Formats: sequence, structure tokens, C-alpha cells
Amino acid sequence: MKKPLKLTVNGEPREFFVEPYFSLLDALRDELHLTGTKKGCDEGDCGACTVLLDGKPVTSCLVLAHSAHDSQVTTIEGLAGQDGLLHPVQQAFVTHGGLQCGFCTPGLVMSAVGLLQENSDPSVDEVKYAIGGNLCRCTGYSKVIESIMAAAQEIRDGNG
Amino acid sequence: MPEHIALGKSLPRVDAMEKITGKATYASDVYLPGMLMCKLLTSTESHARIVRLDTTRAEALPGVRAVITGNDYPDIRFGSGALRDRRIMATDEVFYIGEAVAAVAADDEITAQEAVELIDVEYQPLPVVVDPLQAIRDDAVPVHEDLESFEGYGFAGGGNNCTLLDADRGDVVQAFQDADQTIEETYQSQPINQGFLEPMACVANVEPNGRLTVWASTQGPYQVRAQLASVLDIPLSRIKVIAMELGGGFGAKLRLAFEAFPAMLAMKSGRPVKLINTREEAFTLNGPRLETNIRLKTGVMNDGRIVAREAYSIFDVGAYLGAGPNAGVGHALGPYKIPNFKLRSYGVYTNKIYVGSYRASGVADMTFAVESHMDSVAHQLGIDPLDFRSMNAVEEGDISVSGARLPRNGLRETLQAVKDRLGLPKKMGEARGLGIAMGEWRSGSGPSTAAISVNEDGTISMLTGSVDISGSDTSMAQIAAETLGVTLDQVVVPKRDTDMAPFTGPSGGSRIVYSQGKAVQMAAEDARNKLMALASDRLGVPPDALACENGKVYVQDNTPQELTLAQLARMSLTSPQGPIVGNASLSSMPFAPVYNTQAAEVLVDRETGRVTLTRFVQAQDVGVAINPMSVVGQLEGGAVQGIGRALSEELQIDSETGRVLNPSLATYLMPLAVDMPEIETILINVPTDDGPFGARAVAEPPGFGPPAAIANAIYDAVGVRIKELPFTAERVLAAIKGQQPKAGFIDIEALLSGENPLV
Repeated sequence: MKKPLKLTVNGEPREFFVEPYFSLLDALRDELHLTGTKKGCDEGDCGACTVLLDGKPVTSCLVLAHSAHDSQVTTIEGLAGQDGLLHPVQQAFVTHGGLQCGFCTPGLVMSAVGLLQENSDPSVDEVKYAIGGNLCRCTGYSKVIESIMAAAQEIRDGNG
Repeated sequence: MPEHIALGKSLPRVDAMEKITGKATYASDVYLPGMLMCKLLTSTESHARIVRLDTTRAEALPGVRAVITGNDYPDIRFGSGALRDRRIMATDEVFYIGEAVAAVAADDEITAQEAVELIDVEYQPLPVVVDPLQAIRDDAVPVHEDLESFEGYGFAGGGNNCTLLDADRGDVVQAFQDADQTIEETYQSQPINQGFLEPMACVANVEPNGRLTVWASTQGPYQVRAQLASVLDIPLSRIKVIAMELGGGFGAKLRLAFEAFPAMLAMKSGRPVKLINTREEAFTLNGPRLETNIRLKTGVMNDGRIVAREAYSIFDVGAYLGAGPNAGVGHALGPYKIPNFKLRSYGVYTNKIYVGSYRASGVADMTFAVESHMDSVAHQLGIDPLDFRSMNAVEEGDISVSGARLPRNGLRETLQAVKDRLGLPKKMGEARGLGIAMGEWRSGSGPSTAAISVNEDGTISMLTGSVDISGSDTSMAQIAAETLGVTLDQVVVPKRDTDMAPFTGPSGGSRIVYSQGKAVQMAAEDARNKLMALASDRLGVPPDALACENGKVYVQDNTPQELTLAQLARMSLTSPQGPIVGNASLSSMPFAPVYNTQAAEVLVDRETGRVTLTRFVQAQDVGVAINPMSVVGQLEGGAVQGIGRALSEELQIDSETGRVLNPSLATYLMPLAVDMPEIETILINVPTDDGPFGARAVAEPPGFGPPAAIANAIYDAVGVRIKELPFTAERVLAAIKGQQPKAGFIDIEALLSGENPLV
């Protein structure tokens, strides 16, 4: 039986009904139709479903939806500004070829945003560690890392 | 060098905005009103007769709308090639653990799963064969008892040996007698999964007009359409396949996978039905690569000339020939001049998940063996491995295995570029080593079409049936833009389905930019010629006095006299020739090989056997890079897949039952960012005669070299030759301690007994 759930998703308060066994990922996708967050494995191994939960990156497939009651959730759909201006991490992925098939991309971007909120001057190793839970099969990671480093520079330069 | 408007520019992908904002729609993102969810019942037996299959309890569960078994399908076998050996769903017999036996459509996923568990199935076990080296023997248990009746069966050795590829030249027996030295080795590559991040997914719906619409995650929408028509036994014209955004395929999504399950359930229930593979099913249902055993024998002269090569390879294809040895056989030569050879590749059935394609199936296995073997031979001769490769490398004008004359190519340039970058030869430190490997592929060909229309606002619509993989839409749009003299943002690239776009071959085998891109270029030229003809008529000057650049057609020596593409497009609507549309079709492209050289530096921990990759350099002849950022991205990604194959990835398969033991991303170890050094990529530009603007294929070769380059680096570091993939710490440590590896000697004569004519 579905039960009411209250979340703030991408800045907007939402109240909706969700099955008690649903993950946060399934609630976002199946109930709110925020399908930018991807299900690559549903067991916490691939990172494609990464969202920010109260500002921290989490794999949303491992979070029970109701355990996130009253939380703030940010998904890939919530990153760009109202004017459509991309977040610096998004822009850097576009400019530096950090995405190919795009399936792992939302999760990688959310992990990177989570990192840069904490540390806007990361080393390459810190970037690799931050995306250590995000699998990508197309890029081989080089351009992903390059994109995140470039985004960090943009943010430090005050363009974020 | 003339100024280019789009060619050779590292422009962002045409689909970048929708992907980076999460709006790109993959098949699993399709939600339709009244849509049901599908779940599969799969076989728990390796080989068994189904003695009872009762769906009554499942059908009675509230919320269940349809249940299907193999008996719901017409009695038809299909296949990926000439051999039709497979039913879409098991009927009276199962051939591997994980094979689909029944499917349920229910109101939601959990009800569907519950219903699957209520299906009663009883199996009577049959004899099982798992080891391909056993399965190929004449006295082996047959995987398929009735294989003599399969359409297309019979061109190989018989029994479980279902395919044979062969190539011969010269007098091998005499050449081995004349050789100064003969070196013989056996290599084994492991089962691997393609590792696409997007699980396979599909939605099927029967439209009000009775046609079937399928939203698919596929590299080959027309191939899915044809195979679906075949297994459902309905006219092809009643099916529309919509190619959704593709979240990685690497060969796994070239053919019909499971689309026929939701399709049949949609036909039975009258509702849209969605099926998404679990990650476990992505490992167990269909299409990985299985083990390959390769025996190589090489005859050489003491001065380093290779005079003979014999190669026997045995490819495990699993329960059905999803994809066989494919392009493997000729690659037993490597990119070397070898005057006498005898090459055989056998495909053999076993009771395992059946194989699909993966980034040039067979070639990566063969390159691991050949390029490791090349080092062994070089060391035995006391010649530097790089020099040994260089002295035997093929050259322009040589005759390839297929009989085609080798055109101009950049093989030597790739070797030289890697040599220069690394400062070879160089002495490595304690427990450090360096190894190189070379790779060879063809630029993919096959049916290709394109239609280019010039819109009334001067933008260009580029219509092709090719699914975007690896940024191919962007490269093709750049080809169109360059040809018509407009910027990339003026090219519209629509999503495609099989009703709207003209037929084309699948997106695979490194064929899109070379072959499909050529069709785009030809269609754009056709459109340009029509624009010029119209402008010539309206401006009153001959066409050869005109140029088409920067969004307009103008008189070359009188630039103010011009018409914009928008003006011409609007004029064309009422012109005698009608609206401007350029078309092109082709069925094949000339032979244009691609070569690369890859080098790995490693550090080996002698205490634990752990291999750390410390540097990776690659050079590839790409002809002309249409979009260098995209090309480099492809080469980096391909190399990392090859590195995963070398160091960590292995689909572990139970030797008794054929069960996949590690069907998760936590246990199937693909490379992570933390595992990888920076990949250094060098682009070599030796243009082809026929590719669009001289481009060659890109995507397949970077995955070839890493296993051999790393094996050769391990040998350089600690003096042991590892002949089995992957190079896990356990395996390397055992070799350092002098323990014998499992892969030894394949006794081909014993396996294929005396009277077999194929040996």
C-alpha cells in the first residue's frame, strides 16, 4: 500500500504516494518521472543513480524512499539554472567531451558536484576518489577527470 | 590547408545538451499509459528437458495480465547469420542456465516477479558439456541432438563444431621444414561481458492500426525489426522499431535480444509492456564473449624473417551461435608479412550462455595471442621486439588475407610515434617493464544510406537510420556541415525509427563514420549540386563559377552576387526540380585497414603478483579525425576496456554447470577511475582514398593491444610469460613462483580425429 512521502526535489516541495518498499531511485523515476537519474544495476555498484541527498552524493537505489522523508534531493534535472544556464560541471562535460553514451553521466555529474561543493580545488587523485563509485564504460575516465578539473577552475574563478 | 567550417573541429556532441541535463530518453525512460511490467522465468538447469511447465497459478494472481511460454511463439528457429539454431524462448528443452522459459506481464514489477515465482516448472536433466575443448571432440555429448536439421548447419566439422573459418596460402609444410626455428605456444582468453551501463530495455505496444511498435535499446533497429518479424512470423511491414538513446552496446545490442518477449505479451494483453533487464540478467541472459583457446606455430629465419604461421583457435560460442569467431581467423597473422600460412578458427557449442559480439569479436582474443607470441619469438631470436615487428610489418601493396591489395596506411607511423614518445628502446627499473602490441582492423562497410534536405530557413536536416554510438551523429553532422558550408549548429539530426529513416546496416564494427559517413557526404554533395544548379539558373552564371560556403552560394569572382541557402530552399519549393533533397545509398566501401601501436609500462609486485599499470601510450592511424575530441575519447575508452580485459575482468563460469558465478558489477571487475593512469593518445593522419574527407574507422582497435602489451611488459619486468587472461595477482604470482599455467597445448589432431577433413 502506497504511503505519503514528503521531499523537496530540486528546490520544489513534493508530496506524493510511494510504495513502502520503493527505493528513492524508483520514487524519482516511477512516481515523479524524473528519469534523468539512471538505474544501471539497482544494487549500489555502478553509481548511475547518484543524487544529492541533503547535499551529499548517495546512490539512490540504496536509499529507501521513505527513509528520505523531509529531505532535500537534487537530481540532474535540478542543476541548471532557471534561465537554462548549465552548472559549471555540466558545461565542462559538454565542452571537454566528458560524456559519450550519457547513461553514467548524470551520476558522474552529481558525484562531481558533491565533491566541488566540499572542495573546489581538488587534486586529480581526489577527483578519481570522488568518482570511484561511478562506472563509465565509454570514456575511460580521462575526459571525465579533465571535465571535473576544468569545472573546479571555473568555480574558483567565480563563474559558477 | 584550407579553412574548415566544421571538419576537424573538437565541437561538443549534437546530443550533449539533452544528455547533460538528464532529458535524453533511453528505452527504460519510456512510460506509457496502462503500461505493464514484464519479468522473465529463466532456466535453472544447464541442459534439460522441460517435462512440466504450468502457468495456472501465475495467471490466477491478481494484477497478472498475460503469461507466455515458448509455445506461444510460432515453431521457428532463427539465427544471427546463416545458421538458424535458436528458438526465441525454450519450448521442450533448455540449453543453459539463464535461458528464458516463460514471461509474465503484470500491473507492476513486483506482481510480475511474484507471478514468475508461481510458475511450476519441472526439468529432467540431460548430459552437459561445458569445456569447449571437450565439446569439440567427436565423442562429445551433443549440445543440440537435432542440429542436423538446423537450417544452415553443416559447413563445419560436425557435432558441436558449428562454424569454421579458414585461410591458407603457400606451402606451410615446406616452409616449416625450411625455417631455422619453430616456436609454438598456446594462449587462452577469458569470458567477458561488454559492460554497457544501460541494461537492455524495451517497450512494446500494439497500435490501434494493428502494427507493433517497439522502443528499443539497440545498435541495429533494422536488424531487430527483421528478426522480430521472423520469430513472430508477422510481416516486417507491421513492425516499427524506434531506436532510443543507446546507453552503451559495444556489440551486445547489435541483434534481437529479448524484444520478442514484451512484443508477444503486448500482443496477448493488448497493453504496452516494458521489460528492463536486471543487472544479473545482463550477465546471464545473452551475449557475452566466452573463452578462446589459440594455438600458434611460427617458423622464422635467424635473421628475423617470419616464413610460416599455423594457427588453430577454438571459440566457445555457448548454446547458440549468437556470434561466432567472427573476424578472428585472418588476425592470426597480425599485421605481418607471412608468405605461408594455415589458419583455422572453430566455433563450438557448449551448455553456456550464448555469445554475442563485443568490439571486434575474436580479434581482441587473437591479438592477445599473436602479439604475445611475437614477443616470445623475438626474445628467442634475440631481436628487439619492436625491431622484429618493424622488419615483418606489412606494407602498401602487400596482399591481405582476404586477397585485397593493401592500400596506403599509417602502420609504420604509429610504431614510430610510440617509439618516439617513450624514447625506445629504454631500460626499465627493478620489477618494471615495458611492452608493446600492434593491432589491425578494417574500416567497416555494409549498407549505408542518407538523405539531406535543405530547410526554408537554410538549416540542414540529416536523416540516417544509424543509431548514434560513440558520437557518430556528431561526426556525420560535421561531414554534412563541411560539405554544405554551414556551421554544425545549422544541422538538424532527428532521432530515428524504422518507418521514417531509410534502411541502414547496424552501428557496429567501426563502420559508421567510414561507411555511413560516406553516404552522408555523398547525399550532402547531391544537395549541394542541386543548390548550385538552382543558383546557377537564378544568378545566370555557370555552376562552376559558384561556391557553396558560409550558408550561401555565391559567384566566386563577384562575391556580392549571392543567394543564401534559405533563399534557395524557398525558391526550390516552386522550382521545376522541387525541394532540395540530396540522397545517397551504398552497399560496400573499399578495403581501408586501420593500424595502431599501443605500449604499456607496468610495475609488478614480486611478493603479491599485483600488476600496476603506470603508463599507457597509443598511436592510431585515423586517416582524418572528423572530430578530434570525439576520436580521442573513443580511443581512450577502448584502451581502458582492453586494460580491464588484461587485468581484472573475467566472467567466471562454473566448470560443471556453465553457470555464471559473478553476475554483478561488484564481482565483475571493470576498471574504475582510480585504477587508470592517464591514457596518452597520438593521432596519426594518413588519409584513405575513399572515406569521408579521408577518415578511417576508429572504435575497434584501441581494445586490441592492452592484453598483449601488458603481458609483454610483465615479461620485461619479471621474466614470466602469462598466457592466460586476465593477469590477476594470483596468476602472476604463480608464474613468478614457476608454477605451470593451465593453458598448455591444444592437441588439435586428437580433438578433431583422423578422418576429419578440416585439419
